[in-house]
Amino acid sequence: MVPAAIEPTRYSMLYAQILLNGLVLGGLYACIAVGFSLVWGVLNVINILHGSFVVLGSYIAYFAYVHLGIHPFLSVILAGGALFALGYVVQAGLINRVVGAPVLTTLVLTFGLDLILNNGMIVAFTADYRTVQLAHPLGSTVVGGLVLPLDRLVAMLLACVLTVILYFVLVRSSIGRAIVAVRMDREAAALMGVNVKRIYAITFGLGALMAGAAGSLLSLIFPISPLNGSEFLGIAFIVCVLGGLGSISGAIVGGLALGAIQSFGALLIGPQHGLTIAFVLLIILLIFKPTGIMGRRGYE
Amino acid sequence: MGFSFKPWLLSVMGAAMMAVQPAAAQETLRIGAPLPLTGPLSPEGLKQQRGYDLWAETVNGKGGIEVGGKTYNVEIVYVDYESNTPRAVQTAERLITNDKVNFLFAPFGSGAAKAASSVAERYQIPMIAATASSSSVYDQGYKYLFGTFTPNQTLTAPLTNIVADSGQGVKTVAIYARNDLFPLAIANEMKASAEAKDLEVVSFAEYAIGTMDHASALTLMLQSQPDWVFITGYINDLILMRRQMADLGIKPKVLTMIAGPAYKEFIDATGPLSQNVTSAAWWHPAVSYEGKDLFGSTANYVKAFEDKYGATPDYAEASASAAGAILQLAIGDAGSIDPTAVRDALAAMDTVTFYGNVRFDETGQIDSLEPPVFQIQDGTTKTIYPEAVKQGEMRYGDIQ
Repeated sequence: MVPAAIEPTRYSMLYAQILLNGLVLGGLYACIAVGFSLVWGVLNVINILHGSFVVLGSYIAYFAYVHLGIHPFLSVILAGGALFALGYVVQAGLINRVVGAPVLTTLVLTFGLDLILNNGMIVAFTADYRTVQLAHPLGSTVVGGLVLPLDRLVAMLLACVLTVILYFVLVRSSIGRAIVAVRMDREAAALMGVNVKRIYAITFGLGALMAGAAGSLLSLIFPISPLNGSEFLGIAFIVCVLGGLGSISGAIVGGLALGAIQSFGALLIGPQHGLTIAFVLLIILLIFKPTGIMGRRGYE
Repeated sequence: MGFSFKPWLLSVMGAAMMAVQPAAAQETLRIGAPLPLTGPLSPEGLKQQRGYDLWAETVNGKGGIEVGGKTYNVEIVYVDYESNTPRAVQTAERLITNDKVNFLFAPFGSGAAKAASSVAERYQIPMIAATASSSSVYDQGYKYLFGTFTPNQTLTAPLTNIVADSGQGVKTVAIYARNDLFPLAIANEMKASAEAKDLEVVSFAEYAIGTMDHASALTLMLQSQPDWVFITGYINDLILMRRQMADLGIKPKVLTMIAGPAYKEFIDATGPLSQNVTSAAWWHPAVSYEGKDLFGSTANYVKAFEDKYGATPDYAEASASAAGAILQLAIGDAGSIDPTAVRDALAAMDTVTFYGNVRFDETGQIDSLEPPVFQIQDGTTKTIYPEAVKQGEMRYGDIQ
């Protein structure tokens, strides 16, 4: 697929550009996936709602920009806060009732809730594709022959910052330690006086917060429509399995790996096979290292 | 008790009917329309339904169709085939045998229209296909099938001729296509059109349905520095790609995208990035024809559509309305609703409608329509071709 016309000196530039594209994309993928991974790891709930949460975050950013002029980078706080509240209520009010049940039960519940939320968004916002058009986009710049799409790059960096903040919240704060404790041993944590149901609700809220924040950042990049919810969910799923469940570093490694694999796959085999390669690697990984690249060691 | 009740009820019903209906007794003309109203194709099915509904309402609002001393109200009998082609065929048959429809509008797209055409042929019921472009639908030797889309190459050849003959030094084309039935077919036609005009196709790549990132493909495309970038896909693909092209600084002399820019949504979503993007479709509200059909002119049609739906009609909706308008003209020409007479009238038709010139070739596919080439200039769509409805000159360069 590499055009024969390219002289050898340009190959390295081409590969560097493709790697850069892949890493920027991968950073965004990691941010989509990290909340999904947290909820799956701690609650053992496969949250089918996650993709729709991302889309809802995008809509919040879109309307905040169109009506209030708030830049999507700032509406991260708005979307994150709103989604945290929604996530908390959903977990405390609904999912907590069945959280001890087999994984299929919670899967069906979140699937049903997703149908409601997604179709609700179609009714409220229509399925038309919208985009945030910044009055002053950052555009792109060329550094050392590499094209840097700045809005995308800043979004990716912010996504990484958010992920690092989440990491420190889990490691340093008492709530975070409680989440990690519940993740490691629910019964023991309860015996130590941790209110497990409340921790579940907070964890689900944090997962939703990350989805909303990611959605807000992605509103600058992808067209916004409820129809994209399933695409985001799919990405979150692959990233988690690729990187390993239940750890933030796993989500980051998985996200960056998926971004890079897709980019180089598109280069070497053709753009139509980018995802195919990602899935093939996924299957190989599931066979030989089912715990993912980063294993499964909890939020420590 | 039942016997004493019935005459009373009938007399009330009769009085009610007298009050509602005009003096002349009206009959009903039934047209069967199997459509994918649910399932993956439902957005397309609903578009077609909007087009048919507008035509039927307009006909009935004007007092129906008068022919052979009778006046007919139009009733469209919709049946949902759930985006399932085999069911579309069964549905078409049931519409003929059970519902006794007089005519048929074909199901959505080339595949389902082709499948259902054998039923229409067997029962000798004229069927008009509003959204089937593939020539293979029409070359089966059937006599009762007519279609309002020209073959795919009519979308790529006129634009290629304009660009190749422009003297702007456009020599190379990069094609990037969604790996999906219609987008890939159009991309292949583009390749053929380009080669026919001695343009060099420097790359031809496909992307999978649901691709969320095109940076690598576009980075590769940038390596060959094409003069002309030709991309096919649906509106979400094209919005995303347009933005990534800008991010990566890809600025060809000509940028063509099919089939998103035909929708106003594309301009809204891409803003300044829509500047000088070219496209083609079977119809566009920017064309202007003075027709002999009930809508009269393109402008009247667009206004009627906007009044009813609060949105601008696109080519699929217009084609559906045109199917109705053409059927109505054929009934008028035939002077009866006899299926064979109407079929002959359709075959002999040579007229103008709001949709464009209407004449069918011997296979039943329209061959008079000149699909417009258009370009988005400063946020509005300008028709570049055909000459008769031209609104502006093709611009080169200035891709943001």
